[in-house]
Amino acid sequence: MKRCAKCSQKAVVYLPHHRIALCKEHYIEWFERRVERTIREFRMFSKDDRVLVAVSGGKDSLSLWHALHRLGYQADGLYINLGIGEYSKLSEEKAKKFAQSLGRTLHVIRLKDVVEDIPTLKEMEKRPACSVCGNLKRYYMNKSAKELGFSVIATGHNLDDESATLMGNVLSWNLGYLQRQYPVLKEGNGFVKKVKPLCLITEKESALYALLSNIDFVEEECPYSVDASSIEYKLLLSQIEEKSPGTKLRFYLEFLRKIQPLLKREEKLELKPCSICGEPTSADVCTVCRLKQRLTLSEKGQGS
Amino acid sequence: MKLRVQYRGRELELEFEGDKVKAKDLLKAMNLSREYAFVVVNGEVVEEDFYIREGDQVRVINAISGGQG
Repeated sequence: MKRCAKCSQKAVVYLPHHRIALCKEHYIEWFERRVERTIREFRMFSKDDRVLVAVSGGKDSLSLWHALHRLGYQADGLYINLGIGEYSKLSEEKAKKFAQSLGRTLHVIRLKDVVEDIPTLKEMEKRPACSVCGNLKRYYMNKSAKELGFSVIATGHNLDDESATLMGNVLSWNLGYLQRQYPVLKEGNGFVKKVKPLCLITEKESALYALLSNIDFVEEECPYSVDASSIEYKLLLSQIEEKSPGTKLRFYLEFLRKIQPLLKREEKLELKPCSICGEPTSADVCTVCRLKQRLTLSEKGQGS
Repeated sequence: MKLRVQYRGRELELEFEGDKVKAKDLLKAMNLSREYAFVVVNGEVVEEDFYIREGDQVRVINAISGGQG
């Protein structure tokens, strides 16, 4: 039986890449300290900032919101209902219940009310559902944060998300995405500052924190993400990690330390306000407004 | 022995030889790795060598999620 490195009580968690075993109480403390250190190290925000947490009802976003609240940050939530049947119904319920337990505000947007739900868009668009969904979520997160007066948007992206994305971007040498892959995206050009305070926390660490903090999170997977390539990359990286603990963290941190500064010098993305909605875009009309235009055309087509 | 396992909002029934099974063997039977999954028995996170017995309340958490954030 492993003992907690801090108090010698029975350990419930062993973290191979940190070579540390911890009891429940000290694991929660370790997790929150790591989040706090990440926020400071990357200069994400301070206790004076109003932070909008993008909440899905899953373990990462609820763990993030919980940790920020316990660390004394002013953090409210934004839930975007994607209109994916029971999955969306359940995740909204969990997000609302969690907000109540924290005593913080949860802002809710329904995609069906502002554009269209994901199942309908999936049928209409050639892109994968995850791409359309990610695009819409980013758009409404930014728009809502500005309208509601938040200075920072925090998302629950974790180390596994970041290292899998990095792997995908490296495999196709997608320089544009690699340039923007950083845990802090500065405000400006119509964008609110966006941060990823869980970027050094693994998915398992996040799930353990949620479980040990009695957070009721959605365990079901989004039905459209089953074949997502990110899952394949995560499984491949986990095989390497099992043989060589610390690989994921090193892959991501060394990218940030050695490669990101080189790529940033090359960054020349010019943004302007969308001629329809005013949100930032590299084209005259942003992707969401173009999507709305296609929806209107297809509705007209169906009507005629 | 038969084990009822709570997994991603569903209940699975798995069968093992003998009257106990180690948590790591349960993960193996479910084709999951300890890198991203763990076992909760009667509300407690357990170590890989913990023996699960028939009648225990078992939950398996698979932390991997997909999609685009």
